[in-house]
Amino acid sequence: MTPYFQDPALWGLIVGTPAAATAIVRGRKKIAELRNEKAELKQHYANLENHYTEAVEEAKDRAEEATKNTLKAAMRTLQGLASEQQLAISKMQGAYGEHQILQDLLDIDHMNSQFARRAQSIAVLCDGWLGRRRNAASLYDVVRSAKGRIRHFTRVEIRSQSNFAIVSRAVEPVALTLAELLDNATSYSAPETMIEINIRPVPKGVCIVVDDAGVGMNEEEKARAAELLSSEHSPGVSSLGNPPQFGFTVIGVLAARYGFSVSVDSTSPYGGVRAVVLLPDDLLTSVHEPEESPAVAASTPMPPEENNPRPAAPVTTAGGLPKRRRRGAISIVPTESESANSPARDSATTASVMGAFQRGTQSGRRSTNASSEGHETP
Amino acid sequence: MTTSDEPELAQETAELVRPYVITNGRDLLDDSDFSLITLVTMHREPPRTKPLDPEKLRLLELCAGGFLSVAEIAGHMQLPVGVVKILVSDLTAEGHLSTRAPIPSAQLVDRQILEEVLNGLQARFG
Repeated sequence: MTPYFQDPALWGLIVGTPAAATAIVRGRKKIAELRNEKAELKQHYANLENHYTEAVEEAKDRAEEATKNTLKAAMRTLQGLASEQQLAISKMQGAYGEHQILQDLLDIDHMNSQFARRAQSIAVLCDGWLGRRRNAASLYDVVRSAKGRIRHFTRVEIRSQSNFAIVSRAVEPVALTLAELLDNATSYSAPETMIEINIRPVPKGVCIVVDDAGVGMNEEEKARAAELLSSEHSPGVSSLGNPPQFGFTVIGVLAARYGFSVSVDSTSPYGGVRAVVLLPDDLLTSVHEPEESPAVAASTPMPPEENNPRPAAPVTTAGGLPKRRRRGAISIVPTESESANSPARDSATTASVMGAFQRGTQSGRRSTNASSEGHETP
Repeated sequence: MTTSDEPELAQETAELVRPYVITNGRDLLDDSDFSLITLVTMHREPPRTKPLDPEKLRLLELCAGGFLSVAEIAGHMQLPVGVVKILVSDLTAEGHLSTRAPIPSAQLVDRQILEEVLNGLQARFG
């Protein structure tokens, strides 16, 4: 045994073992600590990453919001100016109605409508102003209004009329939706082809069907269109692509906001796209309201109607042709100058003039040397 | 931006259906076809055609009772005269309307004759 005790290697071993053990234990501890630290760091890093993504997302949203607000304000000014200009053009058209300049005024009017529509579309994407509220209007008029907002409107043919009218708040949205559809239809079909619009009553409301003879869409395009048309929220101004594609995005926003639906997934009989706008019943009203629009009522009542004891029947048409009704000679030649000179008389003045006219003709008939020009007021 | 030149002040809105849509973008007619005082009335036996546009129906209603001049129609319908002329031309071509040339204004009498008459009257009664 003794030699062993004297062996320094043994002593070295005896001393070394606990030291080594301690060192190993320490090392293990260190590793565990480091592992923990690593996990913490990982966690920290993940947090940072999250924060970063959130911050980027937030910045993006804020930038989008700022862009939207800027565009919205800019578009609102443009829309207001376009609408002011439209009024000015209307007045000029009235004033120069019989001049050759009318042709140019009609062209300018057309350009102005297209310009207003572009501004309106951008405004829609920025949750902005859609334009001044309009009176309820017949579906046919809304479709025609939409037709007038695109460049090649003469290629659009409206094949059917209807007795439906659109409620006030939906007039502009529906017109803008149709205009965007028609713009697509004319852009993606040959210039000599026609675009057909049909209006069909369905149990859930009314369908406006737009058929073009263009190249149609492939499955991918259809899927993308369907996604845009059904999306609840606007994808934003910054994700419209380059070149930006407004049409379906604008329509999607309008459809969601006003509660109608638009689909473009079927093929037209001419091989192009068939777009269908389904207007539910709550956006529809009866056609009689807009027919008796204040604009018509404000115009001069025809003079002999003032004398006519019969109440004026509502202007109804059956079978597409005007109901022929005797309303006295509304425009016999001798009174022509009288009614043409002052088309904006109020009814009281008209009544007094007509009274004078009647007294004049009566006294004329009584008198022996009656003038043949019986319409002269005494 | 929107506060200074707020365009909302004008309360009226222009017509929903613009005149160039009503004419479907056609060129205006020559002045020779219809004048402001061309007289128009509804044809006795209107033909059966496809449904007419609301403006054409209104025009026919206006003319149903008698003769009306193009200028008067334009005034009642609040449409430019040039546009009304196109509508009248269409309806005439389709047989809904018949037109009558305006009554010609009296021929100007020769100044010399007038002077002779005046002289004669003065010689007799003067």
